[in-house]
Amino acid sequence: MKKIIYGLAGLLIITQLFSCMPSRVVRPLDKGQRAVGAHLGGPLIGFAGTTIPMPFTSIMYAQGVTEKTTVFGSVHTTSLLFGVIQTDIGACHNLYYNDSLRIGLSVTPAVNMAYDKWESNFKLWPQVDVNMYWDIRPKKSFVYVGVDNWFELANTREHDQPQENRWIVNPQIGYTNVRDKWNHNIEFKYLAPNLDNEPGVVDYKGVSGKGAIGVYISFIRKF
Amino acid sequence: MRKLFIYIIVGISLTSCFRLDDNLFDPEAGITEYKLDGYDGEQHFVLDASYAIPSNLVSIFTLNSQSPSEATPTTIYAIYIGDVNTISTDTVIMYCHGNSKHMDYYWQRAKLLAHCGGKNNYGVMMVDYRGYGLSEGEPSEDGLYADVDAALNWLKGSGLTDDRLVMYGYSMGSAPSCELTSKPRSLTPAKLILEAPFASAAVMIQDASVLGLPPSFITNLKIDNAEEIKNISQPLMWMHGTEDLFLNVNTHGQVVYDNHQGVYKEAHKINATDHDDLPPMYGYQNYRNNIDVFIKK
Repeated sequence: MKKIIYGLAGLLIITQLFSCMPSRVVRPLDKGQRAVGAHLGGPLIGFAGTTIPMPFTSIMYAQGVTEKTTVFGSVHTTSLLFGVIQTDIGACHNLYYNDSLRIGLSVTPAVNMAYDKWESNFKLWPQVDVNMYWDIRPKKSFVYVGVDNWFELANTREHDQPQENRWIVNPQIGYTNVRDKWNHNIEFKYLAPNLDNEPGVVDYKGVSGKGAIGVYISFIRKF
Repeated sequence: MRKLFIYIIVGISLTSCFRLDDNLFDPEAGITEYKLDGYDGEQHFVLDASYAIPSNLVSIFTLNSQSPSEATPTTIYAIYIGDVNTISTDTVIMYCHGNSKHMDYYWQRAKLLAHCGGKNNYGVMMVDYRGYGLSEGEPSEDGLYADVDAALNWLKGSGLTDDRLVMYGYSMGSAPSCELTSKPRSLTPAKLILEAPFASAAVMIQDASVLGLPPSFITNLKIDNAEEIKNISQPLMWMHGTEDLFLNVNTHGQVVYDNHQGVYKEAHKINATDHDDLPPMYGYQNYRNNIDVFIKK
């Protein structure tokens, strides 16, 4: 049966790309600053006898509109290959910053939207990230911990079955290496830790049969 | 620059054609013959000698199968267990196998069905869908339906009538079973048995993604047993392992069962049983007896 699972995994692991990307912006950019980023990564899965992160990709544009708020938009490039135009658009707002401790708190509401060219289906789901970050040095590299929340708006699944997963919680931790023109980021996310990852055709690598660990890297060029 | 970016995005989207439909199928290519009891590849159970089928009751032959979109027929392989000369009086189980390998992989299961209610009690028909085993072509959803119907057409030509045809679908085989019971072509099955069936391609995607994503984001497959079953009035027997790690008993099998609107149905949920283990976990005797009782009801 494992071989069947591997065969079908290709069909199904790809579905995660529609719902899973790293935090776009954790610490707002300076006012007027612009950035373009590339994101790579996904949940860890068992595949052909080894563990791999799904290589999902997206690109992002962000711009600081105030000292505390940065807006962004993205295109999920892997989705494009499947004829699905997917974007997430949102804003990161700094709620709090303690100058002496160099600790900040930001919230990032966003809207995910996807539309396929095959049957013109459209899907929208909101997302809210809340992150606490610590500047290792002022305005330089920082680490962060937070929670990425997805919200399923539909009451029902296919065949009028009740949708039981309306709020999906994904804790995350990351590190951003800040250079003059470039930021490099690595993030670990624990996807849906409250949900069983079996039964299912995908061999997600979670903890004690729950959720999946996601690994992401990002490269961001600032202007 | 901005326009170029937009053109690239739209261009990739419009020209892209990645679909993962083919991942549903997991045939094994390269075999040169069917080995049946001599098959030494991966199997989930092997029956003892008491289930042996005399060689004169095993027929391997080819059929021409043509889906509506094909200009010429595809040659597929079939196995019939039973006396081909008594099909006009026998009850026959059309066994639609799952998505793996070829008929050798499912031979033990077909033998078990032949022995429901007694030794070699039922005729059993099985085909390798196109692209499976020695069958020519490439697997496709339309091909599944055409290939099973080619077998039914052969049975009809051999004297089988609607009232003595029992359709049995295991896993992916539930798709042609439901399709050809809901929308009969050559023959109309009298009864339907489903073992660990799909609900639909959409449920598979939603189970994996957590969010309720439209299936068209990933696949063009239209398999929808949960809807097809609503048109089926024939008696239904449903069997499913409670620990099925492949097709969830609640999100797949139970939905199909609940949507059946016929006058009679029976459910057999087998505890501590995974997708491939149902006959041995149920117990061969229980499995055979309950199927026989259902068919004779």
